[in-house]
Amino acid sequence: MTFTPLSQAPWRRPAPHVRALPSDWVSPASLPARVGAWRRWLAGRPGGQWLLYQRNPGEFCSALIALWESGRVAVLPADDRPETLARLANEVEGTLPDAPDVPEVVGQDIPPPLALSPSSTAVVLYTSGSTGDPISLAKRFDQLDAELAAHAKLWPLTGTAVISQVSHQHIYGLLTGILHPLCAGVPFCGDTSRYPEVLAARLEEAGSAERKSVVVSSPAHLSRLPDHLPWAQRLAPCRVFSSGAPLAAVHARQAEHLLHAPVVEIYGSTETGGIAQRRQTRSSTWDPLPGVRLSFKGERLLLRSAFLDTPDAWWQQPDRVAPAANGFALLGRADRLVKIAGKRVSLAHIERTLAETPEVTEARCVDLGRSDGRLGVVIALISEAIPHCHEARRDLIKRLRARLSKHLEPVAIPRYWRFVEVLPCNPQGKLDQGLIRRLFADLDDTRAPRWLGELSSGADTCTLTLEVPERLAYLEGHFEDYPLVPGVVMVQWAIELARESFGQQGDFQGLERLKFQRPLQPGIRFSLDLTRREDGIAFAFISREGRHCAGRVRLRYQDGVGASHE
Amino acid sequence: MSETHDDLSIELKHLIIETLELEDVALGDIDPDAPLFGEGLGLDSIDALELGLALQKRFGIKLDAEAEETRRHFSSLNALKALVETRRVD
Repeated sequence: MTFTPLSQAPWRRPAPHVRALPSDWVSPASLPARVGAWRRWLAGRPGGQWLLYQRNPGEFCSALIALWESGRVAVLPADDRPETLARLANEVEGTLPDAPDVPEVVGQDIPPPLALSPSSTAVVLYTSGSTGDPISLAKRFDQLDAELAAHAKLWPLTGTAVISQVSHQHIYGLLTGILHPLCAGVPFCGDTSRYPEVLAARLEEAGSAERKSVVVSSPAHLSRLPDHLPWAQRLAPCRVFSSGAPLAAVHARQAEHLLHAPVVEIYGSTETGGIAQRRQTRSSTWDPLPGVRLSFKGERLLLRSAFLDTPDAWWQQPDRVAPAANGFALLGRADRLVKIAGKRVSLAHIERTLAETPEVTEARCVDLGRSDGRLGVVIALISEAIPHCHEARRDLIKRLRARLSKHLEPVAIPRYWRFVEVLPCNPQGKLDQGLIRRLFADLDDTRAPRWLGELSSGADTCTLTLEVPERLAYLEGHFEDYPLVPGVVMVQWAIELARESFGQQGDFQGLERLKFQRPLQPGIRFSLDLTRREDGIAFAFISREGRHCAGRVRLRYQDGVGASHE
Repeated sequence: MSETHDDLSIELKHLIIETLELEDVALGDIDPDAPLFGEGLGLDSIDALELGLALQKRFGIKLDAEAEETRRHFSSLNALKALVETRRVD
């Protein structure tokens, strides 16, 4: 079946005979009855904008069509957290239920379906603006149809079945996972397909119905494909899409290898729709989609396309780019927005929300560039609120998480927390990359204490603020219910940190006046006082509980400080 | 509860903490009956995918396509333990 634009109501075409697929699939033939049920539910209710959040792709699609054919507009919240729905509820006529519980009444008067006008609003989508406040973006039918036509030209769906792993409440999942298959008259499925095991089952089902699969996925899913599932060559999808954030090259290769299919990435945004595409195993640069014109201003990308709200004006994209052969290379965001599991997250928004907590004086949220994509956050607290033990730290994190969860989706909540009295800064007064690395160094070095700041009171003394990480490697081998830092490790930390603070050091000669006074347990926040002496260093580990350990290390200094041949 | 069961609980707690990099969670913080997701330990949809991979690597457990069943297995530490006990292949 060929492609029919939305404005020509593809769902009203006679449905072709297709081999049956299990009930998790939405077949084009099943839609008219469900659309009818939703139109009956809507009959007699107010017109205007309606809130639609629905996980089931069949019900979602049917409700969407019913809204359109009754002259209404679908407002698609990005998530279904109560705060989101409550905020939007004031801006719409009502919220659609999970199912239209209206029995069919003979002779019920339902208004006939309206023709869709290309210039009228089809959907209102939400995304996060640079301030973190959600911004709404209306899309007209002509914008959606222009982009769907580009998809149909590049990636025709004839004879396929579409399996989506992403949410259709966002532009990419909506266009690729719902609307394109709808316009092409092919079956589609979603929701639980986000699990890799379910994806494998759906591929098998499509294969049994003699259809080639098209998978609509994201970096969050493709980077976590288990290799043990039966990804058979005979079930190879003809194409796997990825969007939401750039896919790491290694994950692109791995996904192509496992799924036996090309992985095509789509670059775009809610504001612009699709901009460009690439197959990373062929080229790391992005080629514009048909109908997209590019221009470059310094490192900024300008574009025009029929997918934009105003197609004849240049749109400036907030990403930094470098021009390349036919398109461009992406260099990163120009603002403080990051993508986590494909969701746009504003670091400034997280910081502002945290700073509204009475005990928080300042917060700095950082993208640590870790493979798990999780955020870190450095929080300055009033001194009474500083956690000194595991339980206090955990309670504090729990409270801050609860506060953030009112504003953020779970994946956007920072995972790594560092509490300080003042944000550490370099001589220019900035919390720079070097300091950030030091604050989070214990994530990758499980032998190091957690560094939280350093205070020098002269060339020969300094006090470091440290914490015992719960995952410290040295804790292993001790009793599960009473883990502690071995004494030898404390001495080793003192020597290593003195070397970092005071620079070059001599050879170890021995220990003096060593006293172990109390066990140092995981989660404890402590200070390490270091003093440089003529014959070595003196150290003391002190926490709120008192002194844990103190002593002196004798070191023999080499002649010629800084001599490189030593 | 037998010795073996306790060992498996501890092993699973280690697996969860290590896999998901839960740096602020100690073994004793994981209540065997409390929900792992949402409230409770606060895990999310990405963690569910990571945990599925880790269970396969460590215990050879292959989750099936019944998404509801998968969610039930991940509901608490004890539910996860029951899954490992019946399905481990190592």
